[in-house]
Amino acid sequence: MNTQRVWFAFFIVLALTLNFGFFVGEIDNPHHHNPYEFFFALVVSLIATVLKIGDRSHLGAVLLATSLVADLQLIAAAVMWGYATQVTGEVSVGVMASVVSLAGGAMLANVTSVVLLIAETIQLKR
Amino acid sequence: MNSNTRGRSRIRGAAMWLLLLELRTPLITLIITYSISVLGLVLIPGVTPEGVVYHLSFLDAFYLVSYTATTIGFGEIPHPFTPSQKLWMLFVMYSTVIAWLYSIGSVLAVLSDPAFRHLRSYQRSVSRIHGIKYPYWIVCGYGGAGSQLIRFLDQSGIRCVMIDSNVTRADSARLSDLSYELDILVGDVAEPQTLVDAGVQRALCRGMLALTDQDQVNLTVATNTRILAPRVPVYARSATDANTRNLRSFDTEVVVDPFRVAARSVTQLIRKPNAFALYHELVDPDLNQIEVVDIPASGHWIICATGRMAETMVEAFVREQIPFCLVSSKAPGSQGDWSWIQGVGTEAQTLREARISEAVGLVAATNDDGDNLSILLTAQAENSKLITVARRNKPTSEPVFGQGHFNYVLREGRIIAQEMYARITTPLLHQFLGQLEIMPEALVDGIIEKLNVRLSGERPELAHFDLTLDGDEAPGVIPFLQTAMAPKLGDLLVDPGLDHPSMPLICLLLVRLNGDLVPFPGDGLQLEEGDRLLLWGAMGAHHRLHFLVRREDLFETVLSTRR
Repeated sequence: MNTQRVWFAFFIVLALTLNFGFFVGEIDNPHHHNPYEFFFALVVSLIATVLKIGDRSHLGAVLLATSLVADLQLIAAAVMWGYATQVTGEVSVGVMASVVSLAGGAMLANVTSVVLLIAETIQLKR
Repeated sequence: MNSNTRGRSRIRGAAMWLLLLELRTPLITLIITYSISVLGLVLIPGVTPEGVVYHLSFLDAFYLVSYTATTIGFGEIPHPFTPSQKLWMLFVMYSTVIAWLYSIGSVLAVLSDPAFRHLRSYQRSVSRIHGIKYPYWIVCGYGGAGSQLIRFLDQSGIRCVMIDSNVTRADSARLSDLSYELDILVGDVAEPQTLVDAGVQRALCRGMLALTDQDQVNLTVATNTRILAPRVPVYARSATDANTRNLRSFDTEVVVDPFRVAARSVTQLIRKPNAFALYHELVDPDLNQIEVVDIPASGHWIICATGRMAETMVEAFVREQIPFCLVSSKAPGSQGDWSWIQGVGTEAQTLREARISEAVGLVAATNDDGDNLSILLTAQAENSKLITVARRNKPTSEPVFGQGHFNYVLREGRIIAQEMYARITTPLLHQFLGQLEIMPEALVDGIIEKLNVRLSGERPELAHFDLTLDGDEAPGVIPFLQTAMAPKLGDLLVDPGLDHPSMPLICLLLVRLNGDLVPFPGDGLQLEEGDRLLLWGAMGAHHRLHFLVRREDLFETVLSTRR
């Protein structure tokens, strides 16, 4: 067993699960979407991105790309949410829906990541 | 083609990937410390001055951690901290500042790592070379020969790309005074990838010059080039006969053996001083005058040399039947009707044994510059009329040899550069030099005499150039070629100015379209379309000739008023 592979898979899967946890619920209801969960989803997604750097195979490149997409979506959502809370002063239904849909997009990227990870693992010959 | 592009992208991205790989741990450390700090700040309740309990927002917390980690420290916002917040801030300060310094330190360490910097500058050179828009030659090895040849070629407007494994030599190449910026690749020429990176497979690559001082390396460069880019001609230096045969066995275009060329030059100087002077004026862009050394016909020569230089000299002198006497510390491999004297030649006694007072000339060609100078000075003291030939080994000894009043100085790098330059600039020149080898000395004397007549007593700087009679280069001449006017060679060598005086030029070689060679053609020779001419004369005269052959009206006047 390779410790590095464990951490690698751990963070990729954790990014997806946290993302999913934040995403589920009514799209425009702030009570269904926990800001802390969002915070962790973003942090874990960033760590997963850094872990993917350095694999120069074709699969590695695609994995990195999906992670970068997820980061981009999550950061966009964070900026939007932060702007609504701090500058506008209120989180409208529309803003909440946008934040959650952006996170949903990030989740799709994370799903791709996990699927690629599983596909690679299955191909491995014992 | 496919493998080529893959090879290049591998090199191009390498430095970037190396940096990212090194930064993985610092980046993760940074993310984790930042997130823990932010989370703590958000979770720990604060109290406003009015006594209301509140929580920092993520924005405030991230802002606070960012300026703390970078040691900017704006203060406690939005309200003064409670003791519990202060406790957490202590943790934040030490952990994030350390993580931040660690990351920045790692980045700087990677950036200033010599291997990383070399990789980056290598990549920059490779991408610059692959963006070159003009034709170029690749020079392997920036030694005496390489630096001289790059300079010679620059004078003919031919550009080069240089490869050398030595950083110091590459730096000195950067300082060379050229009319363009020389592209330098610091790498091992014996590795095929280096040659690919230097652009050997590009269509603009005109040739490969293997000029390192190691035969084995030159051989490797030649074989690698043969396989990587079969259409690229290879010019190689070779210091042994076995290596020369090896190089020739797979059709290396040009092999220059500096020892053989040096020996040939010295015997040419003795037997055919005119051909020697003409040869050196033509092949060396730094020599612009004909200087014929007056050599007494009888008398013997003294050769002070060791090793391979002694062997090739003896061979050449025996072939040309020049009487000589060899001074050498080791017994020579071959015997003949010539004498061998043991010694270096630095002592007057040894030279007296070689009958220095009766000798015509002396060749000081040991492989030590100090010994050579000592031999020459001793010999000149013994016999002041002596013709002296010196061998300069190290380029750094140039000042003493340049000022030493020797009749001829053998410089290995320059000899190689001259030989290769003659073959690279114009194929006509090379063909003429082949003719010059077998030309009788009287005819060469006639050529020089004819030019002197045309120069009418002046001694301008000399140069050679070629001209092809086709629609591109001589549109003014072509219409008359098939007519009754029948232009002759002499009609070209006429100054288009007032009174049509003759131009200070002569034609050394004319090559017909079908490949026939006419060495040293007379003025009455009829011109034909497609003729290629090698002309030689005063520097700058070619501007007037080019002017004449482009103007149909001008050439018509010249033809109608010819005498």
